[in-house]
Amino acid sequence: MIRLQRLIQLISLAVFLFFIIWAAYPETLDLPLDTFLKLDPLIAGVTLITSRHVQVGFLLSLLVLLSALVVGRGFCGYVCPMGTTIDGIQGAIYPKSRLRSPRSGYDSRSQYRSIKYYILLITLAAAVGGVSLAFLVAPISLVTRFWGQVAYPIFLSIADVGLDLASPLYKFFPDLAYVQISRRVSNANYFIAGFIFFVSALAIISPRFWCSFLCPAGAMLAILSRRPLIRRSVNSSCTQCGLCVRNCPTTAIGEDPHRTSFQECLVCRRCKEVCPESAISFIPGRDSTATVSTTPNITRRGILLSAFSGLTLAALTRTGWNQPRLLGQERAVTPADLIRPPGAMPEPEFLKLCVRCGLCMKACATNTLQPVWLKAGLEGLFSPTLVPRLAACAVNCAVCGSVCPTGAIRKLPVEEKIQAKIGTAWIDRQNCLVWNQDKKCLVCGEVCPYHAISFQPAQGRKNGVPVVHANRCAGCGWCENKCPVEGAAAVRVSVAGEVRLESGSYIAKAKEYGLEFKVADKNFDKLAPDTFESSGIEEDSTSENGVPTSNKDKLPPGVLDE
Amino acid sequence: MSRYNNRREFLRNGLVASAAIAGVSLGIIEPSESLADEYPDLTICNGKDPAIITRQAIDALGGIKRFVKPGAKVLIKPNMSFARGPESGANTNPLVVREVARLCADAGASRISIVDNVLNNPSDCMKLSKIPEFCKEVPNTHVNYVKNERLFRDVAVDRGTQFKKMKVLSDALDADTLIAVPVGKSHGSSGVSMSMKGMMGLIYDRISFHNRYDLHESIVDMVTVLKPHLVVMDGTRILSTGGPGGPGVVIPMDLVIASTDMVAADAQMTALGKWYGKKIQPKQIKHIRIAAERGLGRIDLENLNIKKISV
Repeated sequence: MIRLQRLIQLISLAVFLFFIIWAAYPETLDLPLDTFLKLDPLIAGVTLITSRHVQVGFLLSLLVLLSALVVGRGFCGYVCPMGTTIDGIQGAIYPKSRLRSPRSGYDSRSQYRSIKYYILLITLAAAVGGVSLAFLVAPISLVTRFWGQVAYPIFLSIADVGLDLASPLYKFFPDLAYVQISRRVSNANYFIAGFIFFVSALAIISPRFWCSFLCPAGAMLAILSRRPLIRRSVNSSCTQCGLCVRNCPTTAIGEDPHRTSFQECLVCRRCKEVCPESAISFIPGRDSTATVSTTPNITRRGILLSAFSGLTLAALTRTGWNQPRLLGQERAVTPADLIRPPGAMPEPEFLKLCVRCGLCMKACATNTLQPVWLKAGLEGLFSPTLVPRLAACAVNCAVCGSVCPTGAIRKLPVEEKIQAKIGTAWIDRQNCLVWNQDKKCLVCGEVCPYHAISFQPAQGRKNGVPVVHANRCAGCGWCENKCPVEGAAAVRVSVAGEVRLESGSYIAKAKEYGLEFKVADKNFDKLAPDTFESSGIEEDSTSENGVPTSNKDKLPPGVLDE
Repeated sequence: MSRYNNRREFLRNGLVASAAIAGVSLGIIEPSESLADEYPDLTICNGKDPAIITRQAIDALGGIKRFVKPGAKVLIKPNMSFARGPESGANTNPLVVREVARLCADAGASRISIVDNVLNNPSDCMKLSKIPEFCKEVPNTHVNYVKNERLFRDVAVDRGTQFKKMKVLSDALDADTLIAVPVGKSHGSSGVSMSMKGMMGLIYDRISFHNRYDLHESIVDMVTVLKPHLVVMDGTRILSTGGPGGPGVVIPMDLVIASTDMVAADAQMTALGKWYGKKIQPKQIKHIRIAAERGLGRIDLENLNIKKISV
């Protein structure tokens, strides 16, 4: 029979996955898709400190913290999808016998006990220094990233292969053939998978190693779990057989089974289930047992060193050259192609808020949002960027901002998102088929949903050459995506001219800057264009959609003279 | 081998023929509806109601039963590859598609598959074209988009000048009846896009038509293999400029063309419409002219038996 804890864990994971799957374009239901991220007290704490701003949604995590006063680390044992994921992976890679705690229980792992508190301190100190490290250590961020960027694309490709293999069945179920899956890719999936696998594999030292010894959110709960209302107690019928000690998944029980570390206890109640004497109960108030070393070897030196390390990390980040707040400079040293999603906060605020959960990248209609490695500096690891060569930003989609849990990407209505300029296309004449080879190519102009590219006569060229009208270009990347030149496209988007507002209307700002974003026509209103039929390279084409073209009055190439 | 395999078949055919002649002479059977030679080559039906003119155009051609036998698998290829509404003219009028599907269902088709290889976001195309919405009540009818390579299989193109094989939608190859239901529209690369150009929605690799081969020759190569049994062309309105995707000038025409000859149907629509602000001769459209030259159909509209109806 399935244990109650497992059942609740699975339900919680199912809800969590449901929210991840539903983070997609088009947004069909108005669900709080970022609920789990808002429950993470570390994300809440770090974001609060770095942004110096209270976000109402994150008060949810306060409930989680307060729950520790009642059920200790019950959240970790029952709700946290990171814990459930680790349970699953460690259970899959190790036989049950390897996942047992040592006979000496709590004391055998004393050397690791303090790590999570130090990680918490480092993270909070770095946050005080204005640098968010939540993305490296916040459990819900890590696990959202894992399921959204590693598991989901794998699931899709397995399903796709499955549909291929099912081809003999198409005869009987013709509509099965038409079930078509668009696969997804992620730029950092190896690392994310490796990291989660690594922390799960640490179960070889002690089961749920991450939860017991590393998780800083767990540490926050542990601090409040010194004497929870509902806690383990052992009565006098205990024969000290040690079964509970061996079966405890977090080495929370001491060598003397009467002793429990409530900071480590996940209230899973496995000890109660295995006790042959029924000596163990989880009852409010009763206390016939002592707790074991409540302050696990946290030294003043350790505390000071952690705080100092966190502040030093922040200082190092803020004095590196590849960071968004270069003092005394008008602009940061930013790679030209670090294109942030539309509605992204100005870079310094963006990096303070973004927890790299990857929900925006999971939800992205076209898969163009990808995690960066070091392009945005160490501080920007795994933050989202557009990769237009892979896909372009769908014009009428604003799902990235809609799912962002911290407001790093602002939640904008589509009308406003269209006005949020993320960059400007530029023509690489050396690569351009028209400029360089004088071929007839109109692809970039044809696919541009904003009519920002026109073709104009140029000296020495038979064919009209593409010209970008910067004030009409939103930086969506359709031109770069569809440019027929192999390798680096001849038209590429750079961050030039990007508009990023901490608050206020993008529509008003676009007006102020003289930007004119006009999408092709009203029929585009619900459109996330992802493919365009183009007239190719060798051919001429007439465009009637208001773009000034050099050959507007000519008939298309398929029409011959009489 | 002799024309008839056995005496029984010879006798049966003889009897049927005699009965038909008797019937015609007695006025029981309308010749245009019974004898293949008497069917018009092409019908044009004018009228305001898209469903009625669709039905009348097909009836005048001999009726749907001529093409769809009971239990037959039918593949209908409309234009629904752009995420635009019916008013844009970039997709076939859903009322025309529904009527064709209904007629097929009434004729006893066992499966009616309505498919196009979409160019825009699939769900947006399906939603905005309104074709799935309109056809969902028609029995045995399934509307799908197609993108995935596994739905296609290689077919030899023996008469191809540009390529000798191509990947075609399996469902279309397996269908007993292939019906093209295109909308008449302009096209920035092929001049116009009608029944022949529309068949590109049933093949996998369209890009090479544009980039590697001569587009016009490729279209003709394609229709040597992928030849619709029946063309029902939506001329309720045409996308006169800005095709294939629009936006462009949409001209109401209030007509539907039906024919067994794809070349003739395309030629007729070209001749009737106004394209890019001009009248254009069918022979000016390169792929229509090549198709006629290669013997795939008739472009000489003046010599065809064309039946015009107004309702």
